[in-house]
Amino acid sequence: MKTHRFGLALAIALAGMTAYAQQERFRRTPPPPEPLQALKLPRIERAVLSNQLDVSIVTRENGPFAGLQLVVYAGESRSPNGMAGTATLAAGFLGQATLVRSVAGIEEFLDSIGGSLSVSVNQDYVVLTIHFLEDYLDAALEFLSQILLQPDFSRTEVDFLKFTATYDLLAREKDPDFAARRHLARMLFQGHPYEKLAFSSDAVRGWNPAGVADFFDRYYRPNNARVILASRVGLNVATRKISQYLNQWQPRELPASSLQPLKPPAKERICLVNIPQARECMVYLGTVFPALGNAERFDMAVQNQVFGGTPTSRLFMNLRETKAFANFAYSETGIFKAGGTFLVRAKVRPEVVTPALAEIRKEVRALVREPMTPLEIEQAKSYLIFNFPLQLERYDAFSRRLAENQARGDGEEFWSRYYEQVVLVNAERVFATAQKVLSQPFVYVIAGDHALLSEHLAELESYDVFDAKGRFEYSVTKDKKGVVHEAR
Amino acid sequence: MFNSKKRLAREAVFALLVSSSPLFGQVGLGIPLTHARLRNGLEVIFSEDASLPVVSVAVAYNVGSVNEPAGKSGLAYILENLMFSGSDNVAPFQHFQFINRVGGELSASASEERTLFYQTVPSNQLALALWLEADRMKSLEISEGAFERARSALLDDLAQKKSEPYYDSHLSFDQLVFSDYAHSHPVLGTEADVRNLTVEDVRAFHDGYYAPNNAVLCVTGNFNPAWARELVTRFFETIPRGKDAETSFEPPVYVKRQVVRSFQDPLASSPAFHMGFRIAPRFSNDYYVLAIVDQILFGGRSSRLVRKLLGRDNKIAYQAGGKIDKRKDQSVYKLFCVVNNAAMGDRCQEAIFAELDKLKQKVLPDAELARYKTMFEHDYLERLSSSRERAIFLCESFLSLMKFDDLPLELGKHMKVTAFDIIGILNRYFTAENSIILNVKTK
Repeated sequence: MKTHRFGLALAIALAGMTAYAQQERFRRTPPPPEPLQALKLPRIERAVLSNQLDVSIVTRENGPFAGLQLVVYAGESRSPNGMAGTATLAAGFLGQATLVRSVAGIEEFLDSIGGSLSVSVNQDYVVLTIHFLEDYLDAALEFLSQILLQPDFSRTEVDFLKFTATYDLLAREKDPDFAARRHLARMLFQGHPYEKLAFSSDAVRGWNPAGVADFFDRYYRPNNARVILASRVGLNVATRKISQYLNQWQPRELPASSLQPLKPPAKERICLVNIPQARECMVYLGTVFPALGNAERFDMAVQNQVFGGTPTSRLFMNLRETKAFANFAYSETGIFKAGGTFLVRAKVRPEVVTPALAEIRKEVRALVREPMTPLEIEQAKSYLIFNFPLQLERYDAFSRRLAENQARGDGEEFWSRYYEQVVLVNAERVFATAQKVLSQPFVYVIAGDHALLSEHLAELESYDVFDAKGRFEYSVTKDKKGVVHEAR
Repeated sequence: MFNSKKRLAREAVFALLVSSSPLFGQVGLGIPLTHARLRNGLEVIFSEDASLPVVSVAVAYNVGSVNEPAGKSGLAYILENLMFSGSDNVAPFQHFQFINRVGGELSASASEERTLFYQTVPSNQLALALWLEADRMKSLEISEGAFERARSALLDDLAQKKSEPYYDSHLSFDQLVFSDYAHSHPVLGTEADVRNLTVEDVRAFHDGYYAPNNAVLCVTGNFNPAWARELVTRFFETIPRGKDAETSFEPPVYVKRQVVRSFQDPLASSPAFHMGFRIAPRFSNDYYVLAIVDQILFGGRSSRLVRKLLGRDNKIAYQAGGKIDKRKDQSVYKLFCVVNNAAMGDRCQEAIFAELDKLKQKVLPDAELARYKTMFEHDYLERLSSSRERAIFLCESFLSLMKFDDLPLELGKHMKVTAFDIIGILNRYFTAENSIILNVKTK
């Protein structure tokens, strides 16, 4: 009996242990995914008002938030020659006083609708974004109409913007990241209207009320703009409301535009932007290429993901995790009307700036010498596909993506058909696009304290030194015997 | 998706949960909310939102720097890093790779009062996110090597912080305004403490606080509720309960009198000052009013002290800001202003007290109060605007010592604050006698 009981107890215990082992087996390997749910993006509906204003409406649950955006094709490339920054100044007025509301009044108004206002300017266009609690849609539209129809280009307002822009630029010129990026833009866009975006504090002195009023009058027109609304309001109501507030905005014939395609640099060049006392060292390199087709843009997006888009990409893993040369190293692709840019951006340790530069160069050259592995490509595609809905969750991120899509005229390829387009990318396509786009010379920009960096740059054959504003100072060259010379 | 038999089984599994209460979208919050507790004490919150195929999983441990013993500062921060150093079935840093490969995003943070881990993934990967969190909750590996790397990284961070102007003055101010070591020492710790930490210290701290009965798990976004419950039960139910964590603090004893001190900061290029008012903690009724007072003072561009100190035409401070600093059972309203010279510092302080007096003496106009409430409503609801933010918000609300079941009513209580409530609170807390000032001098 005792034996039987013991046997029973043992059986129960063993059964329990087996059950436990079975129960815990699920911990040993990651669980498989469930079937992927379809991503249903809200439709972008379009309408054109009687004054030729394009309207894009997205009906979407954003919680209680609505996003109203204005895109005006009045980017920095439109600034008059010799008046760089005029487009930026005009965009600055989108948040300033109007003839019917003081700055303080605007601040109170925005707070009273749970609102925020931001303006961004690039080479091609300006985006004004107003987010607010959706109950205040009429108030927000009325405010937008005041901004557009009753701007205040008085001397006081222009002087205020000049003061803040100067102060801001002087402060940012001490930042190696800003200085390197701006200098690279100057080098890459030299002689092209896009170069105007890289203006310095010196250019701000020339800003004046007449210039900005004239620019606004020419380009801030409904036939050169687009309004985007993302809220719970449907197309018909939204269009009626937008029309009610903006139908007084009059179209006008636009000045002719002659934007040449971007041309890559003629030869490789290394520049050093000297920022005395800077503790950090930033390295930027980049090149430009002519406008790409949609498929090539997807190729570049996948390539960037593998190469430098994330902390698990090649650049970051090599420069930071393997070589310990950099705090971070990323790459990015810019798409503009006249072409695109491919940039690498790394914050490197000053004492290893030269080997870091060589390593980045080696990584970039590998892009055009050998195709990425199919595994790398598939992992990058997975990331882009699965990460896409994450980027649309927050109402402000959604607005940003939507505005970019609409401003560039990207259409459904980059919206509802995004998944399909990414799926079609393969290693061969990525390699072919890389060879087409990245085989040209690159410009290298190092920004930091030259006194701190000079001994670590001794290995370089030559480089040009610029001051913090980007003005050329002298060239450093090394002769065959290794002696360093400076030439002004 | 599931047949009825399976669904029954899933519901039966969820019945293992000790308690479960639905808090479906009541006035002011407008989101579905279900709360449950597993038998090992893990609190679980579910909040569904089917708008995008995305789901977030957050786990908050009710531990932060306030729980560190004297001389052992930096433990909470180091442990937050070590949570990525591997567990029984997940290799070091593999957590990051798993999430990244499926297009997800993740992060973590340690504060004075809690340590939070969160990830957002496509909704078909909910099981992966829960599996990863469960594995490190159950079997975190704290090796000597991983500890040394985490400590070294923290020492680098500390060196970086020490090179920033005003960092030391913020630490010094915390020691003035908070009553004890637990509340006043920095989350990053001090260099001396961090150098003296041992791997045993970290393991003991982990054993004391990183247990299911000291944590809250939140799942938000697009998921099937029954399936999510089953996954949570499967992955977390058998994790053994830990020790009951030490969470009580001696009530602070303060004498209400103004304290003014000076601090020399050799790194500062401009003089500055810190000003603080000890206020009621988050779980008190006064807090509903205090949160609106925060909007009145520094919440937006049209707030009173923003206008007074940073107004376009009468700017007297170079930088100025204010906020409520909550550390478990203690809260302080903190202001920090950078000025051009010491005289401007005095002028700013006078202006602050003058504005506070004005607010105490004159009832806030209805339109102005409505504006501050709208600003508050915006900020509050913004914390629900993505699955990740919602998960963090719910975890933090759960751990904030308030009664969680009251959460759906919280926004409504803030919205009911009256102009007279504000005068009362300003007179109670925002007085010269209750102020602590630290003047920061340049070398």
